[in-house]
Amino acid sequence: MISMNKVSKHYGSFQVLADCTTQVQKGEVIVVCGPSGSGKSTLIKCVNGLEPFQSGEIIVNGVSVGDPKTNLSKLRSTVGMVFQNFELFPHMRIIDNLAIAQVKVLGRNPEQAREKGFKLLDRVGLRVQAEKYPGQLSGGQQQRVAIARALSMDPICMLFDEPTSALDPEMINEVLDVMTELAQEGMTMMCVTHEMGFARRVAHRVIFMDQGRIVEDDSKEAFFGNPRSERAQQFLAKILHH
Amino acid sequence: MHEFDWSSIPNALPFLWDGMLISLEITLSAVVFGIVWGTLLALMRLSSITPLSWFAAGYVNLFRAVPLVMVLLWFFLIVPHLLESLFGLPRGTDMRLTSAIAGFALFEAAYYSEIIRAGIQSVPKGQMAAASALGMTYGQAMRLVVLPQAFRNMVPLLLTQGIILFQDTSLVYVSALADFFGAAYKVGDRDGRLVELLLFAGAVYFVLCFAASRVVRHYQNKMKTA
Repeated sequence: MISMNKVSKHYGSFQVLADCTTQVQKGEVIVVCGPSGSGKSTLIKCVNGLEPFQSGEIIVNGVSVGDPKTNLSKLRSTVGMVFQNFELFPHMRIIDNLAIAQVKVLGRNPEQAREKGFKLLDRVGLRVQAEKYPGQLSGGQQQRVAIARALSMDPICMLFDEPTSALDPEMINEVLDVMTELAQEGMTMMCVTHEMGFARRVAHRVIFMDQGRIVEDDSKEAFFGNPRSERAQQFLAKILHH
Repeated sequence: MHEFDWSSIPNALPFLWDGMLISLEITLSAVVFGIVWGTLLALMRLSSITPLSWFAAGYVNLFRAVPLVMVLLWFFLIVPHLLESLFGLPRGTDMRLTSAIAGFALFEAAYYSEIIRAGIQSVPKGQMAAASALGMTYGQAMRLVVLPQAFRNMVPLLLTQGIILFQDTSLVYVSALADFFGAAYKVGDRDGRLVELLLFAGAVYFVLCFAASRVVRHYQNKMKTA
């Protein structure tokens, strides 16, 4: 579904990504973790071309992301993305947040788009909020709407960029629950997150990054059981023991 | 000591009212065209296509570095000839109003574009990213997501600029166009009551602009609490 081959990116002399190579199969759930500044967000933003990269190749569903001839908008409409700061459109009602891209990008008729929007809001438990504006919802609710908005495009895979990092602790679980459910339904997912509990529950594989490199890329059993690199051991020790 | 005599004002009111309509017409047209052209300039300035961005930067810097009254004179002197030769209009067609509006619109666009550029930049980058991630093209993301938020943030500044523009329309007196100020001047000159008429015109400008700026302030406060 997603294949990366020696992807590298640098700002001037600063190397953000160095020779990142990995594959994501259909239906797989991958958790990407690592210390801040290790390039994990940049890595998943390269998957849908939000971040350009200088060398290497990323193929998503048979389409090369880095190829200048690729219609990036079209590719992105098939890849759902959820951001750290939700990024709902504050000037539109919740239901319009869910309908607008369906109508303007996929050309669905507005009635059908709203219908689908309501169904997805039902699914994340927020149907009653449909006519409100994003600013009237809590962070956790906004992030669930953002997930529903991404799903409204019927994506072939989903990218999550630290979806719970901006949330108050008591709201993290409502978002993780939605993500867990999605994973169990067989959605292909790449999640940048520090939620190791989520990783243990639903991930198939864990990628650990440090200084722009993929240091570990292993099944979750192997990663949590016996991480090979010292850096990953230190990282796990730090975030698991408190 | 000057003896005030206000008696010529009541009779002149219809004429002054016509002048006010011209002032308002110039203001509204220049605001509308200025915002449209200013938005295009702002988009060019922010675009990654270098020649467009240079053109917009040059345009803005040029118009911001010359006095408005000079731009108006250029347009008063040049545009009519240009249009006459372009469209084969009869010589001497009165195009003072058209040239005044064109001059103001092009001049104000430079100021509007800077306001709009700041407005676009005030919208968090993540909004563009989110719109793009949903498959919107750059144009769709701008039109549907970024610009509506930018304009909402900018409304007070755009209105304030409109108020300044309304005051500046008095400069069209250089083309002998009877806007409100020009009309007041003419009446005062004719009746030998220039001081009274100019005081009266000043009072009217003050009341209108002060009231308008209060409305803007009110709107601003409402937006803050919303």
